[in-house]
Amino acid sequence: MPPAKQTKSTSTVPQRQHVLVVKRHHLLVRWSHWLNVPILLGLVLSGISIYWSSPVYQHKPDPTTGNFDVAADIGIWLCAHVPGLHRYSDSPDWIYNHLSLGPGMLALALRLHWLCAYSFMVNGMVYVAGLLLGGGWRSLLPRRTDLFDALRMFRYYIGFPFAKLLRRKWRHPRFNTKYNALQRAAYFSVPVAGCLSVATGWAIHKPMQLHWLAAILGGYNAARVWHFWLLWIYIVFLVPHLILVLADGWDTLRSMIVGWSTRLEPPAVIAHEQ
Amino acid sequence: MKKLENFFAEQPPRKIEMVRARLHQLTRRDVLLFGAGAVAALAGGGFLLPRETLNRLGVRRSMDSPGKEWFLNRALRIDDDVAEALYSANRRVPTYTKSQITPLKNNYNGATPDPGYISGWNLILDGLASGLSVSLDIRNLTSRFSLQEQITRLVCVEGWSAVAWWAGLRFDDLIRAYSPVSQAKWALVESSVNLDAYGNPDPYFMSLDLATARHPQTLLATHFNGQPLTVDHGAPLRLLVPVKLGLKNVKAISRISYFAEEPRDYWAERGYSRYDGI
Repeated sequence: MPPAKQTKSTSTVPQRQHVLVVKRHHLLVRWSHWLNVPILLGLVLSGISIYWSSPVYQHKPDPTTGNFDVAADIGIWLCAHVPGLHRYSDSPDWIYNHLSLGPGMLALALRLHWLCAYSFMVNGMVYVAGLLLGGGWRSLLPRRTDLFDALRMFRYYIGFPFAKLLRRKWRHPRFNTKYNALQRAAYFSVPVAGCLSVATGWAIHKPMQLHWLAAILGGYNAARVWHFWLLWIYIVFLVPHLILVLADGWDTLRSMIVGWSTRLEPPAVIAHEQ
Repeated sequence: MKKLENFFAEQPPRKIEMVRARLHQLTRRDVLLFGAGAVAALAGGGFLLPRETLNRLGVRRSMDSPGKEWFLNRALRIDDDVAEALYSANRRVPTYTKSQITPLKNNYNGATPDPGYISGWNLILDGLASGLSVSLDIRNLTSRFSLQEQITRLVCVEGWSAVAWWAGLRFDDLIRAYSPVSQAKWALVESSVNLDAYGNPDPYFMSLDLATARHPQTLLATHFNGQPLTVDHGAPLRLLVPVKLGLKNVKAISRISYFAEEPRDYWAERGYSRYDGI
């Protein structure tokens, strides 16, 4: 539908009563996006509880304490060096007490992990269905110009705080696409990481019936290491994701809750014009 | 070619005219719904999370309910059903060469039993078609049945694994020699000599479906690394079932009984799954 005709029609009605909007995200994409918050939180917390029972990263037991877990070493180091943690009574368990459901609850952590893992797979299918039904998948595909554009965006983000401090104008690079190259790289790779988490999860959950899957990933032990490090992709993604969405303002957040956006042009251009 | 490119090309968003009040109404509705969802997620977390975790978060009140156990067991049963559907009697697990063998630790859950039991050891078979109870000693077993060697991976529920070299008789051969009652679908494999962490008797009992017991790589192992089993590894006879988690691989078996209904299982009673297929 040519948008020009509609733009014309707005000029005939009072600006106050009517507003032009675009649909940013399909209903199923929005639902699966928010459902991922409790599901991924449950997977990470129960996952680190499961990790406790047999850590991937171990060393020879310490002759005095008997400790062999690198995560426990980190907890001991934190409690010795971070002010305010000196009185923490259980320093080897600090990591597990703060980043997991807790140590020593393998049976419960496994049950929660399976519950969340099956929910995660169903939710992933809902997300893909939403991408297909809403046509949003096209905005996620990598482009030939992405590497150069990603560098431009990177330069923009690095320079932004300094420009603000110096009260200088700092222009947002122009794009005529829904996402800029960095966003596209992030929103494309997180679902890929999700698929890899599921694949490595099945490889270590069913290493006999699905032994070919573990073999592709370099064997059972390698699949465990992959599964562990994939968890950090979500955490590395989450920090800038939260900061940038909050910095971008209400319209972006609303578009993921309600679906509609009043930013008719790609957000990057709007931000530049402001 | 052009058509294909257009198919993959990002399309400009369709602009729609909306009454401002309608947008506000939709926004209000969905934000309220979102808030309700957030509250529901918090309530779900309070319902499902372990008490220790909630205590650490400052929730002192006990939130345990029978519904919680039921719900989590339900999730566990779904996973067990998936495992059972994945199982195939003809699928062999990978085998390894001697150069790939890795150390296997003694993972007795409690204390390792005193070796005194070995001299008077017998294997009791119950629930047989003959209606009799059969008692076999180790020489009986090793001389009557041919021993099979295999180097397979043992995977623990905790996450570690070990490639180990075993030899033993096939469980299937024992079932053929001493047929279970005709309706039997389950074996109960017990070790009466198992101890808890304080060294007190803590008999171990484990359910095994007969389909898995009949798998060609399910052994009643008598040898480890080419030597007769030591006490650490369940002398004189242990179960080796590589298609199951390590906790199903009962050490120092004292009795095998056959049942039509699923028998009790030591770790299932402690919150783990009961099928444990991997």
